[in-house]
Amino acid sequence: MKTKHIFVLPGILLLLFLGYPLIKMIFDVDPKILLDTAKEKEVMDSIVLTLRASLFSTIAALFTGIPLAYVFARKEFPGKKFLEGLIDIPVIIPHTAVGIALLSAWGRHSQINKLTGINIVGTEVAISMAMFFVSVPFLVNSVKSGFRLIDPRYENTAITLGASPWQAFYTVSLPMVKKSIISGSIMMWGRGISEFGAVIILAYHPVTAPVLIFERFQNFGLQYALPVTVIMIGISLVIFFLVRIYEGRK
Amino acid sequence: MSISLNNINKKLGNFFLKDLNLSINDGEYFVLLGPSGSGKTKIIEMIAGLLRPDSGTISGVEGEKIGLIYQDYMLFPHMNVFENISYGLRFRDLGRKEIRDRVVKTAGEYGISHLLDKRIEMLSGGEKQRTAIARATILSPGIYIFDEPTSALDRNLKEKTRILFRELHRKTKKIFVHVTHDFEEALSLADKIGIIFDGEIVQTGTPDQIFCFPSSKLVADFLGYKNVIKGEVKESIFRSNGVSLMVNGENSSLSYVAIRSDDIFLSEKKISSSARNSFHGVVIDIVKKSTIVEVVVDIGFPLSVDITRRSFVDMKISIGKKIWATFKVSSVRVFTH
Repeated sequence: MKTKHIFVLPGILLLLFLGYPLIKMIFDVDPKILLDTAKEKEVMDSIVLTLRASLFSTIAALFTGIPLAYVFARKEFPGKKFLEGLIDIPVIIPHTAVGIALLSAWGRHSQINKLTGINIVGTEVAISMAMFFVSVPFLVNSVKSGFRLIDPRYENTAITLGASPWQAFYTVSLPMVKKSIISGSIMMWGRGISEFGAVIILAYHPVTAPVLIFERFQNFGLQYALPVTVIMIGISLVIFFLVRIYEGRK
Repeated sequence: MSISLNNINKKLGNFFLKDLNLSINDGEYFVLLGPSGSGKTKIIEMIAGLLRPDSGTISGVEGEKIGLIYQDYMLFPHMNVFENISYGLRFRDLGRKEIRDRVVKTAGEYGISHLLDKRIEMLSGGEKQRTAIARATILSPGIYIFDEPTSALDRNLKEKTRILFRELHRKTKKIFVHVTHDFEEALSLADKIGIIFDGEIVQTGTPDQIFCFPSSKLVADFLGYKNVIKGEVKESIFRSNGVSLMVNGENSSLSYVAIRSDDIFLSEKKISSSARNSFHGVVIDIVKKSTIVEVVVDIGFPLSVDITRRSFVDMKISIGKKIWATFKVSSVRVFTH
């Protein structure tokens, strides 16, 4: 019995630490202001923009991240460990630093800008790129683990049954990692939505929800930042629960 | 049509297939027998065209359809039985109705017609196996390849599987390449056996040749010879631990002899016969099996002898009893490695 208590107490402290600010925030916000805020065009625009930009970055990651995850899971080549590490870097470096790095690569005075004239700073594309950079590890790592769990002999069997390697991948391996793809995508999307540091450096405008929260806090104080925060956290929680419900079904 | 692998070399990590040569004749049931990690699966993956050798050639497989069945069958879990069986047909120019008809016919042959809508995870082991075989046979392959198809099965299903494979081979008259580590399985199925150790084929031959005339100590050990003894041979006498055996073998300071435990007779009195090796020893262990009893007799070294249960009872054998063990010179295989 005693051992049980020893384990329960730290767990409760942790949950309180996480849950208390969220619950307190909900009680602190005036319902009327919350409703008014939800009706504000600027707020809803920023939330829709945030959801959409993150969705685009996730879709882009499906086309590039799944092939990469497959290569990481199936092939051995020199430098593979290094490249796998590279994918994890966005998780460990400060996201403002990511923003600076992206700005120097794609900004107004970058080589890319000089050669092509493309300037993404301050566009929705820049927001998606920043979100992509910081959240793509979630998709790649999830799909990579999915592919690792699938015996390559499934594909071998498909090939001996007449499939081309591409057909074997498309009809056998890919459907078998469907769950990893879906849960990885939801994680990536959710992580992209919450991105602030990299986004604000690359695109202050158009304003995403995290940037709007920051702006209102800076200019008007806690009371005005709260309603937007509650709406945003509400949406994040819905996504979080979707992931958990989905994983629970596995 | 016959398959031949010529001077195949393949490096895979720390593992090598070394200068491998192998020929499998038309309609032959060939069993590749060896312990796990010996390179068997790599060889069949090369025959199936899934793996390329670093050097050497494989002939006789060009354009042939391969029916490959792995140990765990590799049925696609996201498809039902129908979709699994019809998988190979979707890459052919066939109408839906023809695919349906063919699947129904093949499923009928394997007694799984009632399972076509079932998910793979709902099937029993035997049903999975028949689904996998149906999925391969529906394409009428020219070469069948089985990778350890029975190693995960219980005894009963194992025996049924062997019968199924023998029937399939009789019916199709195609080349069968079957990989196993189970020598009894190899003996019961093969027209020809190849024994592989550590990436090298050390002996090929008919089951009788292999079992009666193992080419090395390694093969004898693997085939379950219980009496493999180290010693030296000088002028047709093998000496080990003070015991001398009459053998047919060349002089060597390091030799091994192998004697099959069912080639040795036990008797209470010394018998006069053409068998020139006869030893008086003491029974030190008795292992009772279903129809035979293994009696271990110490003649200077322990000698395992298989006798029938009937003989065991008649001779009233017990531990400590003194007994004669007799075997022919021709029953003693001599190896230098």
